[in-house]
Amino acid sequence: MTASRFEVGRGVKGERRPEMIAAFALIAVPMLLFLVLQIGAIVYAAFISLWRWGLRGPRSFMGLDNYTSALGDPIFIKAITNTIYYVVIWVPLTMALGLFLAVIVNQKLRGQTFFRATFYFPALASSAAITVVWIFLLQPSGLFNEVREILGLNPLFRALGYTDNQNWIGTSNTAMNSIIALNAWTTSGTIMLFYLTFLQTISKEIYEAAAIDGAGAWQAFRSITFPLLRPAHFFVATLLFIGGFQLFDQAIIAGSKGGDPNNALTTIVLFIYRSAISDSEFGFAAAVGMILLVIIFTVTLIQRRVFGDAPSW
Amino acid sequence: MTAPTPATATAVRPAPRADTAAPSPHVGDRGRTARRAIFYALLIGYALLMLVPFAWQIITSFKTEADATQLTIVPQPFTLAGWERGFLTIQPGIPQLFFNSMVIAIAVTVTNLVLGSMAGYAFARLRFPLRTVLFLLVLATLMIPDQLRLVPVYLIIRALGLITSSPLNFLGVILIMAIQAQMVFLFRQFFLSIPRDLEEAAKIDGAGYFTTFTRVMLPLAGPALAAVAILTFQGTWNSFFWPLLILQEADHWTLPLALFSFRFEFRTDWPALMSVTVAAIVPILLIYLFFQRYFVQGVAASGVKG
Repeated sequence: MTASRFEVGRGVKGERRPEMIAAFALIAVPMLLFLVLQIGAIVYAAFISLWRWGLRGPRSFMGLDNYTSALGDPIFIKAITNTIYYVVIWVPLTMALGLFLAVIVNQKLRGQTFFRATFYFPALASSAAITVVWIFLLQPSGLFNEVREILGLNPLFRALGYTDNQNWIGTSNTAMNSIIALNAWTTSGTIMLFYLTFLQTISKEIYEAAAIDGAGAWQAFRSITFPLLRPAHFFVATLLFIGGFQLFDQAIIAGSKGGDPNNALTTIVLFIYRSAISDSEFGFAAAVGMILLVIIFTVTLIQRRVFGDAPSW
Repeated sequence: MTAPTPATATAVRPAPRADTAAPSPHVGDRGRTARRAIFYALLIGYALLMLVPFAWQIITSFKTEADATQLTIVPQPFTLAGWERGFLTIQPGIPQLFFNSMVIAIAVTVTNLVLGSMAGYAFARLRFPLRTVLFLLVLATLMIPDQLRLVPVYLIIRALGLITSSPLNFLGVILIMAIQAQMVFLFRQFFLSIPRDLEEAAKIDGAGYFTTFTRVMLPLAGPALAAVAILTFQGTWNSFFWPLLILQEADHWTLPLALFSFRFEFRTDWPALMSVTVAAIVPILLIYLFFQRYFVQGVAASGVKG
């Protein structure tokens, strides 16, 4: 970088100038959009978060008041708890499911393409479409309840405390779990694809050597595949953590703006949306956004500690 | 836990054991065949489990409202009434929603192709001051969750006068989604992999940088263009968050927004709701069936779900 700039300074200038002009012409519009709507937006949000900021009426400087009142708001605390609960269960569940699927379809398999395509299939539909379908399947007289009755599973579900006509998404203690199941199902296909690209870099010879040493398939998985996939674990976990903290679409579609029932589906982003769009409290909403940014940043740092250095991406 | 987890868990458990990439010397031939058969049965069972919700959704769209909550596999009676309500009675109907979704998805796909390839080429091949810094800035935006920008982006789009009941409203969504960092990244990686010889030949022939880009590089970039087009189209067609925030009038809604609203308006009109979900999924499904290869490559290359 610096070297090339020196080069520009010395004599070759006339030759380099058209290249520079071409480059800036090509990146001007994309960079403008990035700088205003991405980087600039975050700086702007940090600024707004210090003010009482509505669409109309006078603005007043609040200092850190928005932050303290957010942290003192029981519904915001509920939103944080819900989001962390979701992330803590959904991330490992989706990773495990995606990894299992990847290991399966990475084998010599008849119909390999079909299975890969089918397992990825649920990731194609929009969050809105798939959530509405899910709501339909899990409603009291929906397919899920009907099928478990036919299979004679109702005594088991009763023992676990669920009624025969359980309203899965409409009941506080099962609403979030229903969304976790939905998103583990839809996201596992994408995670499978990521793991597959990493799995294909592991040479077959290692497995052959392990087999000669008498290692079973499970042992080979535990002591070869799993540890060798460390960069993949890091990559996938980072993606899922960042994605998990942004849970919004499924929550608002299943639980509306209120995160019903009883704020069981109120996530941090839904809380931001509500504060900004429904209550016009943009300063407060921006402060909550900054708190979320800090949470995501911290989690990413901790992950880096757990999984070691990031791969080169 | 809830719903499909028990079934999923049973289908998945034998996976590592069935990982016969390393053939186990302890197992006799017959045991192997039997295990193989069980393994395939579970695999097919799990694949069916993936497809059941979609099949059920299609079946339900042809049912009557009363029949929709029954376990009938063939609709009793078979009716198009659900589709009629979904298409025409519910406002805005599917044709309008389809049109709106199409306008936004095509516009955003075009901007990502044009802007992404331009920036990708510049970052891959041209030398200019601040190149590294600017590229790192682009990469940094990958780390900023979309939703964190809700407040500032909404206020910026509003200040531009694009929060409006006129069709200019579309422009707000298009502007926000016009360029994504992972598309710039994908193009850059692709251009880096093209040998320099061709460009140098063009240079000797007296071609400028723009000519080289449009006449030499872009024609070679077919696979990258396809991957970006498919990922962007799918992502935009399915997008919910920004359209929900920006689009004001029901007449401007996209299919996902309509589903969100219809769900509360037509609580138990499942056939109509399912007909709209089928309509929302079909275009993406067709693209997937025809361009599956690019999907898989694109998802793997971009590292980010669209």
